[in-house]
Amino acid sequence: MSASTLLERTAATPSGVDGLELPVMTTDTTATRDLFEAQAMPFIDQLYAAAMRMTRNPSDAQDLVQETFVKAFASFAQFEQGTNLKAWLYRILTNTFINTYRKKQREPYQGTIDDLEDWQLGGAESTTATSSRSAEAEAIDHLPDSAVKDALQSIPEDFRLAVYFADVEGFSYQEIAEIMKTPIGTVMSRLHRGRRLLRELLAGYALERGLGTGQGAPIKKTSGSTKK
Amino acid sequence: MTDCGCEKAKAELEEYLHNELRKEDAIDIREHLEHCPDCRGEHHVGRTLTEVMQRACKETAPEDLRDQVLLRLRAIQSAH
Repeated sequence: MSASTLLERTAATPSGVDGLELPVMTTDTTATRDLFEAQAMPFIDQLYAAAMRMTRNPSDAQDLVQETFVKAFASFAQFEQGTNLKAWLYRILTNTFINTYRKKQREPYQGTIDDLEDWQLGGAESTTATSSRSAEAEAIDHLPDSAVKDALQSIPEDFRLAVYFADVEGFSYQEIAEIMKTPIGTVMSRLHRGRRLLRELLAGYALERGLGTGQGAPIKKTSGSTKK
Repeated sequence: MTDCGCEKAKAELEEYLHNELRKEDAIDIREHLEHCPDCRGEHHVGRTLTEVMQRACKETAPEDLRDQVLLRLRAIQSAH
């Protein structure tokens, strides 16, 4: 899918998401609700998973998902059928998260994270030798889910969201730019830096767990337990 | 065959991975990967990173949440 077709497609999405004014209900509200439920409810697992990565705890994640559905339903009249409902729901989810939850859990560099130099973020470009790349991939592949989630949780929020939207949800850069309200260049930079940090964290975890990243340590099956 | 070279490939691997390259560029990268074990290894690590994230981030919304959402939608509707 090309960026230009996406742009056209998503540009057609109504702008009511941000204002979230309550629409005037039509007489066939039951039909509207049925349509909304049929179309939006199938996304609840995905939205909950995203909310878990955003809020980092099940209770806030549930509140965030509820709020998202309530707001989405309230502005559903402004959603143009045939446009990308998933991206529209994620935009509401992300807005709601930023406006309510992010304030509670502000991180030290929030808002200026994109301006930080790479050396301030830690880590360095990969200098891994060819021969050890397959060992690195295998080691990362053997990490327990908890380690992967810990690593995601520990990178700066804007990077985490960009990586999550691209890698887990498969959104295009254009869609992520619209969801996060940033230029595509910023999305690319967040993705690149986020993935680089993740890779280093995961390689570090693997080393700690004796999974080896080509340094001669043997590849062992993980027990699945989380070592902090 | 013209190989695009490691520099271009390394610079665009992430966009390649995310299907963000124009068709011609994607073909260039794919051809380069076929012949370059180094870049292929780098791409493999990148793809693994994506896969483990997809695997780790799977969640099922609690039944309770589903019920709560439906209840709230109905409450909103009856308030109108």
